[in-house]
Amino acid sequence: MPSIEVNHLQKTFQTKRKAAGLRGSVRALFKPEYNSIEAVRRLSFQMEAGELLGFIGPNGAGKSTTIKMLTGILHPSGGDAKVLGFVPWKERQKLAYHIGTVFGQRPQLWYHLPAIDTFLLFGKIYEMDDRETKKRIAFLAEAFEMQDLLETPVRKLSLGQRMRCEVAASLLHRPKLLLLDEPSIGLDVVAKQHIRDAIRRMAQEENVGVLLTSHDAGDLEALCRRVIIINHGQIVYEDIVSNLKRKFLTQKMVEVRYAEEVSKDFSINGVEILKIGHYGVKLRFDTTKTPVDAVMSHLSEAGELVDITVSDPPLEDVIAKIYEQARETELSS
Amino acid sequence: MKSFKKYWSIFRITLINSLAYPGELIGRSLLIIPFMWIFYQLWKITFEAAGTVSINGMTLYSTMWYLMMAETIELSRPALARTISENVKDGSIAYILNKPYSFLLYQFSNSMGETIFRALTNALFGSVVVWWLVGPPPAPLGWLFALITIFGTWVLNYCITCLIGLSAFLVEDVSPYMWIYQKLVFILGGFLIPLSFYPPWLQTIAKALPFAAMVYGPSQLFVTPSLELFVNVLLMQFIWIVILGSTLVFSYNRGVTYLTVNGG
Repeated sequence: MPSIEVNHLQKTFQTKRKAAGLRGSVRALFKPEYNSIEAVRRLSFQMEAGELLGFIGPNGAGKSTTIKMLTGILHPSGGDAKVLGFVPWKERQKLAYHIGTVFGQRPQLWYHLPAIDTFLLFGKIYEMDDRETKKRIAFLAEAFEMQDLLETPVRKLSLGQRMRCEVAASLLHRPKLLLLDEPSIGLDVVAKQHIRDAIRRMAQEENVGVLLTSHDAGDLEALCRRVIIINHGQIVYEDIVSNLKRKFLTQKMVEVRYAEEVSKDFSINGVEILKIGHYGVKLRFDTTKTPVDAVMSHLSEAGELVDITVSDPPLEDVIAKIYEQARETELSS
Repeated sequence: MKSFKKYWSIFRITLINSLAYPGELIGRSLLIIPFMWIFYQLWKITFEAAGTVSINGMTLYSTMWYLMMAETIELSRPALARTISENVKDGSIAYILNKPYSFLLYQFSNSMGETIFRALTNALFGSVVVWWLVGPPPAPLGWLFALITIFGTWVLNYCITCLIGLSAFLVEDVSPYMWIYQKLVFILGGFLIPLSFYPPWLQTIAKALPFAAMVYGPSQLFVTPSLELFVNVLLMQFIWIVILGSTLVFSYNRGVTYLTVNGG
C-alpha cells in the first residue's frame, strides 16, 4: 500500500486586494475585492512506504502548502489525499500518531526549557509509557549525537544543534512517515551533513518513509531516491535522482585564480568563459560533452594555480531548464 | 486516562515554563501592591465621606478583601486571546495542530499552567498588603468557596478569550475585542466597584451576565461565604460554561476549515 496517495489536490487562497492610498483603503472597506491564489493545482502523486522522496521547487511553489494539507492542518479546496490510509484533514489526530513533522522555519521545542522536557512531554502526548520514552530518547540521543545537548535550555543551542533536536523529537513516537519541510534551512555545511546522516540512518534502520521539501539540491542528492519538482503548484518533473543528475546536473561552474596575470584571449575548447579578470577566470562547461580532467589539465597548464572553486549551478537554474523543456515539448506536441 | 495524562503534562510543562524566569513572575505580581494601596485610600475616603461603616452590607474591611480577590483574578488572567490570534496570524498554529491532541484542550491546559503561579503570587502579595491595611483575612470557608468558584472563572475566561482569539480567523486585529471584554469585566463583573454598591436594577442585570459569575461571585463568597450564594454562583457559571463552551467548539470547527497558514 502506498503511504501517500494524492489525487488532483488543490488549494486556493483568498487574499484581500487593496488599491494604494487612502481612497483605496476606503473603497476596500465597503467593497472588498479578493484575489485568489492557486497555491496547489490539481497535484497528483504517490509515495511508497519507506520511500525517500524529495519535493523541490522555488519559494512559493506550493511545497509547504502541500505538506500542510498532508498533515491535516489545511483543508484542501479540491481533490483528495490519503496518508497511511487516513484522510488527513478529517482524521488529523489519528494520523498524527503515525507521522512526524518538522517545519524548519518554526521551532516546536519549548524555547526556554531544556529539550529533554519537550521530549518527555511528547512522550505523554503520543501516549507512550515512560520507560519506553526514556529508552527511545537514549537511542535518539546517540543517533543524533545530542547527549550533551538535552539538558541545555533550547534558546542556548546553536541552530544546527537545535535542528538535530527538532528532527529527533519528531521521531520519538516511531512514526512510519516523516514529513520534513525545509529541515536544513539556514544551516552550515557541517550541520547539514550531520542532519542528513542521521535522517538517512533512521530511514534505513526503521524503514521510515521521508518526504522532504527543500530548495537545496544537496539535500536531495544526500537523502532522496526520487524527486518531484513543482513550480506554481504543479509537477514539472518527476524522476529518480540519479536520472535528474545525469540529465540536468551536468553543468559545472569553475572559478580559478592564478599567481600571474591572465591573458585576455584565454580559452579552452568546449568551455564557456563567463568572465576574465586580472588574475581569475570564471567558466562553465557540460561534463557530458567536455571531460572534467581535460578542463582541469588545461587550467593547470595555463599558469600557476592559486585557488579553485567548483560548484553546481543553482537549483533554480536547473528548474528553469526543466521548465523550459517541459514547455518546448508542450509546444511541439 | 491516557488522554487526561496528556493534557496534564501540557499543563505541567507550561507551569515549569512559567517558572523559567522567577524574577519576571514576581515583578509582575508586585503590581498588586500599589493597586491595593490606591483602592484603600479611595474607599477609606468614600466610607468617611458617607459617614457610615457599612454600605449595602459591605464594610471597608470586606471591600478591601473583596478587591484583593478581584484583583488576583484579573491580574492572573493569561494572554490567551493574543497568543491564539498570533498563532493564527503567524502560522505557528501549524505546530499545535500537528500533534494528536485537541487544539482547544491544549490551549486550555496551556492557559491553566500560565495562570496558577500568577494567581498564587498575586494573592500572596495582595493578602500581605491588605492584611497590613485592614486586618487578617476572612474565615477559611471563604477561602474554600472562592477557590472552588475561581476554577469556574478560569474556564469561563478561557471560553471568552479563546473565542476572541479565534476571531483572528476573520478579523486582522483582535485587540479591540479584548479591550471591550476587559471593560465589561471591570464594570459588570464587579472588578472596580463591588456589585453590592450598585442600584438593585443594575445588580440584577449584571448578575445575569457571565462577568459577574467570574469576578463578583468568587470575591463576594470570599468575604461573605454563604451556601445560597455559592450554589447560585456555581449554577450561573455552569450555565455560561455550557453556552460559551458550545459556541467555542462550534466556532473552532467552522474556523479551522478556513484556516490559511501564513508563511513558509
